[in-house]
Amino acid sequence: MAAVPATRTLRWALAAIAGGLVLAAPFVVTDKYLLRILTFVGINLIMVAGLSLLFGYAGQISLGHAAFYGLGAYTSGFLAKLGVAWPLALVAGVAAAALGGLLLALPSLRLKGHYLAMATLGFGEIMLFFFTETEVITGGSNGLRGIPPAGLGPLVADTPQTKYLLVWAVACVVLLLAANVVRRRPGRALRAIHGSEMAAQACGIDTVRMKVQVFVISAALGGLSGVLYAHYVGFISPSTFTLHYSLVLVTMVALGGMGSLAGAVAGTVLLTMLPYADAIIPGLSRATVELLQDWESDIHGMVLILVMLFMPGGLAGWGRSFLARISVRRARSAGGDA
Amino acid sequence: MLEIDAVFAGYGRVPVLHGVSLRAAPGEMVTLVGANGAGKSTLLKVAAGVLAPQSGRVLLAGEDVTRVPSHRRVGTGIVLVPEGRMLFAGMSVAENLTLGAYLRTGAAARRAVESDRERVFDLFPVLADRLEQPAGTLSGGEQQMLAIGRALMADPKVLLLDEPSLGLAPKVIGEIFSVLDRLRGSGLTMVLVEQDARLALKHADRGYVMRTGEVVLEGSSAELLANDDVRLIYLGAWHGTE
Repeated sequence: MAAVPATRTLRWALAAIAGGLVLAAPFVVTDKYLLRILTFVGINLIMVAGLSLLFGYAGQISLGHAAFYGLGAYTSGFLAKLGVAWPLALVAGVAAAALGGLLLALPSLRLKGHYLAMATLGFGEIMLFFFTETEVITGGSNGLRGIPPAGLGPLVADTPQTKYLLVWAVACVVLLLAANVVRRRPGRALRAIHGSEMAAQACGIDTVRMKVQVFVISAALGGLSGVLYAHYVGFISPSTFTLHYSLVLVTMVALGGMGSLAGAVAGTVLLTMLPYADAIIPGLSRATVELLQDWESDIHGMVLILVMLFMPGGLAGWGRSFLARISVRRARSAGGDA
Repeated sequence: MLEIDAVFAGYGRVPVLHGVSLRAAPGEMVTLVGANGAGKSTLLKVAAGVLAPQSGRVLLAGEDVTRVPSHRRVGTGIVLVPEGRMLFAGMSVAENLTLGAYLRTGAAARRAVESDRERVFDLFPVLADRLEQPAGTLSGGEQQMLAIGRALMADPKVLLLDEPSLGLAPKVIGEIFSVLDRLRGSGLTMVLVEQDARLALKHADRGYVMRTGEVVLEGSSAELLANDDVRLIYLGAWHGTE
């Protein structure tokens, strides 16, 4: 029992340290390459926070989240190119993704397990086809070029530092909100649905409504992430919004551990940075980096298989058993002293 | 308190219940006994709203709740302790209990929820010692206690119990039924589905004997225990008295 306040303090300390590092990074890091990768980490975190609520907490798998990423990116990118102010384009991008999520959720959340996986996978493929074929809007397979950077009036995020700060400000807000949700009543309800839908209903939880809500929220966060991506990179093409990306996202949540937001964050940071390990490990040989990049998909697949086989609790499961071991040891040594 | 009126129900195109009626007066414990597949659990599911009847009505204190969906029926006061307990295995005992009171939000309800928690710990002291433990790691008996505790957290007017003795040792069954006796003493209305007819009739006020989707016999527990047919079919030695 004494371990509870200890882990809570530890959690706050870790969060504070992480927050400080995030804020300090653009002022300390002079390497543009590293800053770019860290920005991508932020973009992926927003996406994975949503998927963690849906998949990690409520247990509803989606193999089509790249579609929401694309809906946000294309909607916002297209509107911004027409001259629509960025905040409006952002809202439209998020709304488009949320609407897509709602349209998919209403019929398919009656499905469970493999069937839901197949339905979302199909949705992802349909949307990918849509992104490729509606050339008037999306530029087809040539992509959409010249998307202006995010900004509001004279404030424009057009330097690597300001882009980084924008992305991470959004990511921090999203993570804080998500952390709040999962610790409270709605988070408990989501985990209850994951545990047993019938028991959740027997407790008075409107499971259908909850599932639709979390799906829409998750899709909206995917859209938000896509909007930030489009205005960060300035160019988007269908090759980004593929099944592979959806699978990478699922792998990030699984690696982190089901039902753990902190784990999902860790999984995202690790897997996003892995192909660019040379940015943080200075001495890494060019050959090694090339190997990591060439085999990126294979590594993701291997990670997913290994996690499922050997650490179903993911990184969070490891962390928990580590903390439990510490508290047991502490309790033992305290007992020995007495 | 609870009235089930001429219910026909089934799964898909397979009919299970053929016009079953049941009535539980306030503070009464009634039991449904009968062989496997007689429709006992199905009737409970209709009462809990998990299964919509094809026809017939479910009334709570005179009010028709037939069309109230299961998650909202909890709010009306009909609460199910599902067969096989169906706890949230990965969540702690405390969280399972909190989820039981899911619909009771707001400042006014908080104090009542807290006192109900205390009552659950008073009924099942072992749960208070296991608060932080994941529900899945409890023993079978403790899990059944938690399932009942979780249902009590919803402040039920009618508690529906589906096979609470399933897979438990006689000693644990005794403990659980003594708690059910206490709950009956406190005025809670209960409908108990039980495989072990002798056990059920020993504790309940009245009983309904079901066979292939129909009530074939009803009466006070004493009457049923004395009935030759019941004794022969449901209380026979081959049925096992453990």
